[in-house]
Amino acid sequence: MPIPVKPDNSVVTTCAYCGVGCGFKAETHEGRVVRMVPWKEGKANHGHSCVKGRFAFDYYAHPDRIRTPMIRASIDEPWQEVDWPTAFAHAASELHRLQDTYGRGSVGAVSSSRCTNEEIFLMQKFARVALRNNNIDNCSRICHSPTQFGLSATLGAGAASQHFDSVLQADVVLVVGANPTEGHPVFGSMMKRAVRRGAKLLVIDPRRTETVDSPHCRAEVHLALRPGTNVLVLNSVAHVVVTERLYDEEFVRARCDWDDFQLWMGLVGDERYSPEVVGPEAGLDPEDIRRLARIYASGPKSTIYYGLGVTEHSQGSTGVMCLGNLTMACGMVGREGVGVNPLRGQGNVQGGSCLGSWPHMLTGYRFVTDPEVRGSFEAEWRIELDSEPGLRLPNMFDAATAGTFKGIYIQGEDPVQSDPNRHHVEAALRSMECVIVQDLYLSETAKFAHVFLPGSSSLEKDGTFTNAERRVSMVRQVVEPLGGLADWQITVGLMNAMGYECHYDHPSEILDEIARTSPAYSGMSFEKIEKLGSVQWPCNTDAPEGTEVLHTVQFPRGKGSFMLTQYVPTRERTDDQYPLLLTTGRILSQYNVGTQTRRTANLAWHDEDVLEISAGDAAARGLATGDRARISSRYGSTELTVRISERVNPGIVYTTFHFAHTMVNNLTSNLDDWATNCPEYKVTAVDVVKAAAHAGVGS
Amino acid sequence: MSTTNPAPAGTAGTAGTAGKQVWTELRGLREGVDLGTPPRDGEPVTLTIDGVETTVPAGSSVLLAATVAGATVPKLCATDTLECFGSCRVCLVEIEGRRGYPASCTTPVESGMTVRTGGERLTALRRGVVELYLSDYPASDIEGGWSEFHTTLEQVGLTDGLPADHPYRGGDHHQHLAVDESNPYFLFDPAKCIVCSRCVRACQEIQGTFALTISGRGFGSKVAASQDESFLASECVSCGACVQACPSDALIEKSLFPGGYHRADSGQA
Amino acid sequence: MSFIDTERLVTMANQIGDFFAPYPHARRVEGVRNHLRNYWDPRMREAFFEYLDATGGPDVHEHVKEAAALVRADTAPVRAYAGPPKQLDATS
Repeated sequence: MPIPVKPDNSVVTTCAYCGVGCGFKAETHEGRVVRMVPWKEGKANHGHSCVKGRFAFDYYAHPDRIRTPMIRASIDEPWQEVDWPTAFAHAASELHRLQDTYGRGSVGAVSSSRCTNEEIFLMQKFARVALRNNNIDNCSRICHSPTQFGLSATLGAGAASQHFDSVLQADVVLVVGANPTEGHPVFGSMMKRAVRRGAKLLVIDPRRTETVDSPHCRAEVHLALRPGTNVLVLNSVAHVVVTERLYDEEFVRARCDWDDFQLWMGLVGDERYSPEVVGPEAGLDPEDIRRLARIYASGPKSTIYYGLGVTEHSQGSTGVMCLGNLTMACGMVGREGVGVNPLRGQGNVQGGSCLGSWPHMLTGYRFVTDPEVRGSFEAEWRIELDSEPGLRLPNMFDAATAGTFKGIYIQGEDPVQSDPNRHHVEAALRSMECVIVQDLYLSETAKFAHVFLPGSSSLEKDGTFTNAERRVSMVRQVVEPLGGLADWQITVGLMNAMGYECHYDHPSEILDEIARTSPAYSGMSFEKIEKLGSVQWPCNTDAPEGTEVLHTVQFPRGKGSFMLTQYVPTRERTDDQYPLLLTTGRILSQYNVGTQTRRTANLAWHDEDVLEISAGDAAARGLATGDRARISSRYGSTELTVRISERVNPGIVYTTFHFAHTMVNNLTSNLDDWATNCPEYKVTAVDVVKAAAHAGVGS
Repeated sequence: MSTTNPAPAGTAGTAGTAGKQVWTELRGLREGVDLGTPPRDGEPVTLTIDGVETTVPAGSSVLLAATVAGATVPKLCATDTLECFGSCRVCLVEIEGRRGYPASCTTPVESGMTVRTGGERLTALRRGVVELYLSDYPASDIEGGWSEFHTTLEQVGLTDGLPADHPYRGGDHHQHLAVDESNPYFLFDPAKCIVCSRCVRACQEIQGTFALTISGRGFGSKVAASQDESFLASECVSCGACVQACPSDALIEKSLFPGGYHRADSGQA
Repeated sequence: MSFIDTERLVTMANQIGDFFAPYPHARRVEGVRNHLRNYWDPRMREAFFEYLDATGGPDVHEHVKEAAALVRADTAPVRAYAGPPKQLDATS
């Protein structure tokens, strides 16, 4: 009889996939997760879900999971299984040896945005108190580090100004370089609901994404700009706002630095940013730029949501500043239904940003070079801290290839697959003497590891996640850690083995430590989050239950600052040899580098990365849908199956990056954001030729 | 005695929300409680339900008010994550001064209304309606079931299905229609579908994909994905909203059937 | 051997210089100074300075070189900050 198994237990927790951070009930039967059911009280999802969080949870019990620590003397040797104390002692002695031989700054660590706030906080603490340096970074380096930089510079807080359901109050929704129906589906549904209720949708994206046109949800204006021209086009939008006097002078005078506003008006008001000049260069109809600017400025409530299409450029931080400037100029910040909001990729990447996992900043975005800030941590941790900024992850790799960086502790990241210029990353890892990888599976990066520490999935531990709307939600243990230890316990074990004594009975004590040292989290505790369901930071004495909308009275530093956002074209250009521009994105059913989703039945929808190409470009190369093509850039090449698509303009090709074997990051350049080194994933000059049948993949 | 609908939490710092209140309404949803229709965020309205004075926001349904008042009104097509639809005719009530038995889900509250949610006549009417649904539901899937449909059976006193001598027994059913197991995560068994349209509405209202429709008419009506394709081949994005909304196990997670999904041979209830 | 490939450092420094270029001269220099001082590992700065000493930095923007000189002098420590380059009285 087909009577369904009735779950015997249910635990409310937070989805570990994207930055929407949906609340779920993890239902178990006899100790095994049998389904994930969206939690009606989840403030990010209100009982809704997507295919990943709702169904693709079986990765946690996949046979590929490693359950025992392993070590080896060189990466050419087989792994040797050891117990936890042996693994800790070995890793610690190697790190000490490297520091004794090559200097204190020759080793570093990277935290994971798939781990909890408490675990990320511990990782940066590990670098600072156990490695005694500031060589600590997090994966937002390669995605939203420009958000933190650009929004801090303009509005004073490097995070979303709104809560997700604020979009339901918007009259105009501007989506820039994001595809929420695929990348952030539950928010995408909310946004579509707003559009069905009458909000106007504006999209700036090189590709005619699913967001641009879907049933009962169609963009009023879509600027399909040439990849790499974001700043140019956003300055042109600003040009229209300034020259047609669409700005909100009252707001700017009251809330912003007027002198810098004048400077900014001078820059963007210049003729070189007029739509008539910009249009041809960006591949746009000037009138569309004007229409978009007018609709945005007229609101009355206009909100911006943006993604990696803004940040992953050599001017990524500048692009974010353009958005910050625009919201301030039009007075579209500081109330419901307006604002500027990054759509963050990983479940806890906002937490990764907030919790001091940066080489130059401690928690709450405070500089390590500031003696007062350091002092507060030195008092808490009873140890003197390095007063100079450490290395960013790309710079760790740069230094490694130069022979000056020798060891790294990587928690739950797979830079070989996710970071730009794979050859460079592999060479860097190969040159290191001790690579410690803490992960669920033997990742691509683990191939270069000397120590493997089996990590725990978010179903296996307690903690908190901070989603893209600054909402801190509980992650609760549903099943025992498969490797025996939760990630936070692993870091604590390693810290003690390194000689820094520390002990926590429960992750709640780590959040208490975060609250003691971090102003935006000062009012947080497990108890409070349990009571309220979730809390948006800042949560402090002024806002004991958290803050839904930022900047309502003033900006964190007082006046908002208009930044000068001059357009500097990327050095990555097309030429006769590489005439097409490749840009990258995501698909609904797969998640990031696919480590989890590739181990689920989500393969039913998407079992390979496909190259989208316009009909004309395909015909010129004798390509038809289904053909294999070789894609070559100045940095490498790979093979993909071709799909002729109306979603991309002539001259543009597009693919996703979910599958390791397609090695899309073979192709990407070593160019990166001027402020943060966030890689320029969104623009690579390539050529595409028909591949010989059954040719190998890779380069 | 007096009860009030819990005010939507976390509304601090709101401004200028006139006419677009749905976000605060979404926050009125509570786990483990089905208000029957979506929470509303209007001015307070006081009415009497089964002798209990109850205050709920204007725009709320009588069904919602009854739930807040602690009454149990059986229902099938209504749920608080979807706008009311009024197709199942199970949530009937009596309202003083009105003729007949209006569906409580589609009737908005009015100040001073006096509502009765129980009594012999209502019970008989509801049972009659549910018997019709039951006549088309696989008999072997009644006992041990724990879906919303099974709860409704309990509420109207039909836990054991249709009696052996019931005139509806032996009627037409949908068991000749194949189970759609194309989606890797959930299946659709048309034999258990009561055509309440909750899945169709969830796909539209919550997910916004519009992949599902009801095709055909009358007894031949059935849920169809896109142009009558399999769920996998259709525009369905597998968000799970339809599975979540289904009250009768017709759309259900495969993970709840560890040994696979095998229909029983027996006929309808 | 340099701590990090000097070509890479020059590219990074010039990119920072490009961003601050539209500001009036003193703020343009200050923006680059604040960035190099508070975002760069000191070993990267040292390697960059060594390169400037060795070559004069023909491929480095003038205002970046001015900023580098200020970082090296480090005479009037300014507290690290995010946001627009400050208008400093004494340093320029």
